Amino acid sequence: MAIRDRLPFFKQIKSVAARTAVAGGVLAGFLSLRSSRVAPAGARDSLGMVRPPGARDEKEFLALCARCTRCADSCEAQCLLLFGPEAGDLQGTPHLIPDDRACTLCMKCGETCPTGAIRPLEKKDDVRMGVAVVDKRLCVSHAGTGVCGACHTICPLRNRAITQDFRNAPVIHDDRCVGCGLCEETCIVRDRRAIRVQTDRLWPGPRYGGEAS
Amino acid sequence: MTLKIRKLQLTRRTVQLLVLVFILAVPATARYVNYLSAREQDKYMEKWDGTLQGEIIESLDTLFRSLPGGEIERGDQLVRDRKKVLEYAQKFRGGMWSAEVAGLSITDPLAAAESMAASKTAETVLWISLIFPLIATILLGRVFCSWICPMNLLLEFTDKLRRVLLFLELKPRDLRFSRWIKYTLLAVGLVLAALLSLPVLGYVYPPAMIGRELHDLVFGIFDAAERGAFGFVADGLTWMSLIIVGIVVFEIMVSRRWWCRYICPGGALYSLLSALRFVRVKRAQHACTRCAECVTVCPVGLTPITDEMGRECDNCGRCISHCDSGALAYRLGWDGARKRPAESEGGRS
Repeated sequence: MAIRDRLPFFKQIKSVAARTAVAGGVLAGFLSLRSSRVAPAGARDSLGMVRPPGARDEKEFLALCARCTRCADSCEAQCLLLFGPEAGDLQGTPHLIPDDRACTLCMKCGETCPTGAIRPLEKKDDVRMGVAVVDKRLCVSHAGTGVCGACHTICPLRNRAITQDFRNAPVIHDDRCVGCGLCEETCIVRDRRAIRVQTDRLWPGPRYGGEAS
Repeated sequence: MTLKIRKLQLTRRTVQLLVLVFILAVPATARYVNYLSAREQDKYMEKWDGTLQGEIIESLDTLFRSLPGGEIERGDQLVRDRKKVLEYAQKFRGGMWSAEVAGLSITDPLAAAESMAASKTAETVLWISLIFPLIATILLGRVFCSWICPMNLLLEFTDKLRRVLLFLELKPRDLRFSRWIKYTLLAVGLVLAALLSLPVLGYVYPPAMIGRELHDLVFGIFDAAERGAFGFVADGLTWMSLIIVGIVVFEIMVSRRWWCRYICPGGALYSLLSALRFVRVKRAQHACTRCAECVTVCPVGLTPITDEMGRECDNCGRCISHCDSGALAYRLGWDGARKRPAESEGGRS
């Protein structure tokens, strides 16, 4: 066998335990880079983002997701975005910002997910990405400044998730709304949408990759 | 029984380059599917005519239309069968970490191991996508490293650069480390993944990193086109690319094939899986002239001349191609592991 010279440093470390400690230290150092982020306590605000349809609970999702980009490739509406490295441990995980581009519920992401982080769903009604919430001061139909009804027209679960009241004012049925966000994308109130998708999902950090809504 | 492959290194290089083209083409295909689903394909092809993005979309369109059933007659001309083309195009997804190739789901065993360790569950979909890579590794050995991994392709060219430096008498250093580092890193990574419930190695594993970077690069190029900026844009690249550059510089200046030999946790897992491989490089003792050329060329730093190959060999076949006497060849059979001498760490000093 060839004579091999090694780094003196590693030569000194003889025991496997010590090597493990060194290697662990390197990895732990990398992990400490992810800032200690605190979820907004009990805030029922989606930070403008939702996970794709069929995604499991946040903790389970982060454990299962392999960060493989398959869901983003399969998305027909190209609404799925992947976090960049600035998002720390969320890097490479899919999310969507309904304000910019909402989910069309094509369900291709769940179909292709190799680890089951996104479950394959058949029926649109089974999706629970979030719930749309109407800001009655901003909505033109509710405030009485106009007659709109755009959210009702675009809703994939029309007359189930959204029904209409006087002057086409939208009424959301929390138990039926899947949170796809098409209403948010389509809402005619531009600066701050009158209808926004919110989730119970506690995001482990501040919002990345978009303007705060 | 021996296995002879003509133009072995040329074949291997071709496969590596095809894989690289594949990981660049998949995100572009995803955008193509997006435009096709929105029925905006022809609009974009007309609007982007002559630009980089337009050419990519157009060549993908030509490719998928030329597949059987991709075109139907309408009136007196052939038009794209949208549903059929969509069906074909959606069979290609993902990148190095996990991919769908022509409908076949393939996941890197390391990605699967980490996902399982972090979630403490094993989904059926994950097992299904592991069938192909596991069988390939157990039969053919560490072939992911030598035939598929884009990082290996990059580092093989780094190795060539080192030879240029040697020719110029700049003498790059060549430090050796312990091969056990990678096994330790693999174990530490899996334990950390289980403790933190996060797949930790995936963030820094070069093939996965290259896959993500190239994916974002291609998406960035198309995002730019949608904004009206054509040509090559490097918007999608992030500072994670610097890690790759760092490894390359380290290998040029400090240690030859450092990552693959001593550090790569994925390589460690593949090594463990390929310990009993069916195809392995073996020497015919009577034919060997003991020129030791195989020892010089081996990218993993093994010594085929001593018959002590162990589990580290990635079956790249460079020693076979460089063997003038023809003593080295791939031999088929399960007996290889048993006849192996008492050595267990494959070339560790």
